[in-house]
Amino acid sequence: MRRIGIVVLAALAFLGLSALAEGNIKAGFIYVGPIGDYGWSHAHNEAREIVDQGFDWLETLYVESVPEGEVETFIDQLVAQGCNVIFATSFGFMDGTLAAAQRHPDVIFAHCSGFKRAPNMATYMADFYQVYYLNGLMAGALTKTGKIGYVGAFPIPEVKRHINAFTIGAREVNPNAEVHVKWIYEWFNPAAAKEAAEALIAEGCDVFAFTEDSPTVVQVAAEHGLPSFGHYSPMYDFAPDYVVSGQLVHWEAIYRDFLKKIHDGVYTPKNLQHVDYWWLLSQGAVEVGAKPGMMINPVFEDDLKACVIDHPVFGKISAYDLVMTRYNQMADPGVTFDPFQGPVYDRKGNLVIPEGMWPSVDTLITLEWAVEGVVGPWPGEPEE
Amino acid sequence: MDWQSWLIGIVGRALAFGTPLLWGTLGEIYAERAGVVNLGVEGMMVLGAFSAFAVAQSTGHPGLGILVAALVGGGAALIHAFLTVTLRANQYVSGLALTMFGLGLAGLLGRGWEGIPLKQPLPSVTVPGLSKIPLLGPMLFEDQSILTYIGLVLAVVLWLLLYRTRWGIVLRSVGESPATADALGVNVFLVRYLAVILGGVLAGVAGGYLSVEYRPSWTEGMTAGMGWIVIALTIFAGWDPLQAIWGSLFFGALYHLSYRLQAWLPPELLKLMPYAFAILVLAIAGLSGRRRGAPGALGVPYTRGEK
Amino acid sequence: MRRVGPFILERRRAPSRAVVIGVSVLAVLAALLIMAIIFAGYGVNPWHAYATIGKSTLGSRYGLMEILRRTIPLLLCGVGLVIAFRAQFWNIGAEGQLLAGAVAATGVALYSGIPGPWLLPAMFGAGFLAGAVWGIIPAFLKVKLRVNDVITTLMMNYIMIYIVDWLIHGPWKGPTMRGFAYTDIFPKAAWLPTLPLSRVHWPTLVIGVAAAILAALILNRTRLGYEIRVVGESEGAARYAGINFLRVSLAVMILSGGLAGLAGVGEVAGIHHRLLSPTQVSMGYGYTAIIVAWLARGSPGVAIVTSLFFGLIFAAGDVIKTVLRMPFQVTGVFNGLILFFLIGVEPLMYWRVRLLPKGERWTGKAGSSGS
Repeated sequence: MRRIGIVVLAALAFLGLSALAEGNIKAGFIYVGPIGDYGWSHAHNEAREIVDQGFDWLETLYVESVPEGEVETFIDQLVAQGCNVIFATSFGFMDGTLAAAQRHPDVIFAHCSGFKRAPNMATYMADFYQVYYLNGLMAGALTKTGKIGYVGAFPIPEVKRHINAFTIGAREVNPNAEVHVKWIYEWFNPAAAKEAAEALIAEGCDVFAFTEDSPTVVQVAAEHGLPSFGHYSPMYDFAPDYVVSGQLVHWEAIYRDFLKKIHDGVYTPKNLQHVDYWWLLSQGAVEVGAKPGMMINPVFEDDLKACVIDHPVFGKISAYDLVMTRYNQMADPGVTFDPFQGPVYDRKGNLVIPEGMWPSVDTLITLEWAVEGVVGPWPGEPEE
Repeated sequence: MDWQSWLIGIVGRALAFGTPLLWGTLGEIYAERAGVVNLGVEGMMVLGAFSAFAVAQSTGHPGLGILVAALVGGGAALIHAFLTVTLRANQYVSGLALTMFGLGLAGLLGRGWEGIPLKQPLPSVTVPGLSKIPLLGPMLFEDQSILTYIGLVLAVVLWLLLYRTRWGIVLRSVGESPATADALGVNVFLVRYLAVILGGVLAGVAGGYLSVEYRPSWTEGMTAGMGWIVIALTIFAGWDPLQAIWGSLFFGALYHLSYRLQAWLPPELLKLMPYAFAILVLAIAGLSGRRRGAPGALGVPYTRGEK
Repeated sequence: MRRVGPFILERRRAPSRAVVIGVSVLAVLAALLIMAIIFAGYGVNPWHAYATIGKSTLGSRYGLMEILRRTIPLLLCGVGLVIAFRAQFWNIGAEGQLLAGAVAATGVALYSGIPGPWLLPAMFGAGFLAGAVWGIIPAFLKVKLRVNDVITTLMMNYIMIYIVDWLIHGPWKGPTMRGFAYTDIFPKAAWLPTLPLSRVHWPTLVIGVAAAILAALILNRTRLGYEIRVVGESEGAARYAGINFLRVSLAVMILSGGLAGLAGVGEVAGIHHRLLSPTQVSMGYGYTAIIVAWLARGSPGVAIVTSLFFGLIFAAGDVIKTVLRMPFQVTGVFNGLILFFLIGVEPLMYWRVRLLPKGERWTGKAGSSGS
């Protein structure tokens, strides 16, 4: 029995190698949610379709709704089907992917949003914090009550970083703005997102942003005639008069680069130990917009232009121009601005990023504090 | 924030979130009053949610969507009725099967419909005149679903039917003691069929409310366990349609409060309340020695004329 | 007796073993047939589908191992439910009892400080205990306060789900998990060994098989087993025979809940090595085990076979997703269908179908009935 198993594995490994040698890539994508979820998994799958069509030497497979504990099983099955590149697209897949990477040393792995790497396992992430900051600038200009609502999925560093960047943006335009946060403790639960949004409305919030996998918050805000920012997928169509802008992801930018480099022989199953993609605006992995190509919904352009503030750096400037200026600073290949540029104080008054400094990637992905202006429970907040 | 706007907000939200609970519970009350437990509420609701969305989206008529959801829910309940009443299968297992089947089937059929905003959701209503009443107006008559009001009226009608008409006596007798009812010439099978199907129809509407009104779009598994809250609520309400109103309002408020009170209480605590309350209510009823409305023949298949 | 056309239906008291097996297989086949139609509707040739599933599960060592791995929790929960169902105790709460076991095992693994070699036994002990505690609450409520067991066990599943959620977001959130909702990884001493080149945590499997054998012995050879069977036959008879209803119910639910708790220990110590979101800890094993037990019809030994069958169904679900590229919901539909058919054909077991003698076949009203 055991011998057969080894023979099978050897044969599979051989198949994998021969496919690589021919220069053809068969990439398997593993998603944590259903591809129709309109959030995370949906976005990864759209990107998969784009790269699949873009390269004639590439074939792709995918598996959706993979439970975290089952990722190894599905990796094995994809490898058995001849995949020589595996993309595991959820933080919870990290340890399973690492174990599988050690079991299949000739297969290339890439794990999204994690921090463990191996000679044949890279990590990658397209992060939104710059985009959230730009959205925050707009939100600060649009709020009348000075209270902005934010529905967060889980109090994890990724979401905390986004709320912080968003809050920094909002207060750059409106120093008194508050960002009120509610957690739903689920990536996807429309009823929870709806009640959380309604709770924020009841507390007086009049502009909304969120991190969760459904367009619920956009829909609820629109029902009340209030503006909001879409998350992950283009949500303009859900409320054309109320979606101001939002965060759009282009995972294909990373997938294209990564797969091309494997095809060109730059990446091999031996040299990925230090390959970590942390791609932002300047690499085109993320986009600001209500939908692709629409950075700011024209409905809100006049309001943003009419909101003129006295900015410490730029002097008298409209919110609209400020967004554009900051965008250019971050989207140009030579990035000249970071939303977390120090000094940044947390809401307990501690200096967390010193004057003039930019945070390291490591600081960003382990971030637990809340900046001034964030209101609401913040599980895991550091003591003093 | 002042207490008035708190109250207005919470009651308003309790009504909105409580509406699908109310519809589902009214249906389950009737099914159980006839002696048939249907644990397939979640399955029937999700089938209703999907079919309502699909119909509303393709025809542009959300009302038609709700209607179809009712039919689909009734159809799903028919399977349960056939298995449990005609074939006398175990009601609990059949209900669980219905839930598995419904969640799977709706997910399967609904794949092409995910991530699309509903073109024409069911409009919410503000009752003219009444909404001007201070406190009560904004609390009860502003920006609510028409299905909320129909549900409330339905609860009263179903209560009257159950306790004030011959039909209600017949229904209750079938659930209490089917053999006696049979001996009195009642068609036990027919009554049970009708009650179970009514349960499915109402659960279907509850699901439809979710996808064309509460959050007008369709996603797989969007009922997210509401069907089980309905089961708990049926007990909590003591199988009484009027109590179901208070019960669904109470559970709706709890759910909403788990977000309002997030800074002070862990949300998990408030979310497990419905289930804990259901057990508590049954236990208290047991302590006080009352059966508290639980139909006598609940869960027992009826076999005619056999010893 | 009932007459349908030329046939006569006779009621029989206890169906023979052959009839039970025959009818059960028939139900499974019927479900497979409907699934074939669904496959075809999806543009997948049903023959091809079943052949692929067979080849990728039963046809390879890897596939067989996957089946075994899924069998473990189903077997433990299933045997427990068989015991409960024998006593007419409708334990729908195996999922919650499994989670209770997982929680207890996690507590011991991370916070007890028990030294290496004793850690795993302590985790199994704590898991059994926690599952048993979660099981005897409904037993107590049922016997003392006449509270419906289905409802309490069902509701307690949800309560446990939220308790797990609260633990991983709150007090037990792992400092090394970078803010994500998991506990820390268990120390290596708390990891169950696995069969080579697989994720089959064999100690739990051994416990499962032992539990099945032990349960069979208890049910068939002991005083408690006799009492359980009598209580299952009729409560009245049990009272008449002077059986302590409370004692039997508690014993049944200690065993039933405890075994499910062991399944939970196996999942966290053998697969996940940490506590995580309840929907990730168990793939609904506690619910599927209801079908496992139902199919086993009161026999713990048969539960080994039926849990293997549902292990196969789980493994087949993975194949359907990866190789056949069909949506994952297909398995849900299949499980629902199989359950419908299983309970639907039940009455068949209690009827014998006989052709009427030639002369009487077409006389009288068709479909007439006389009880």
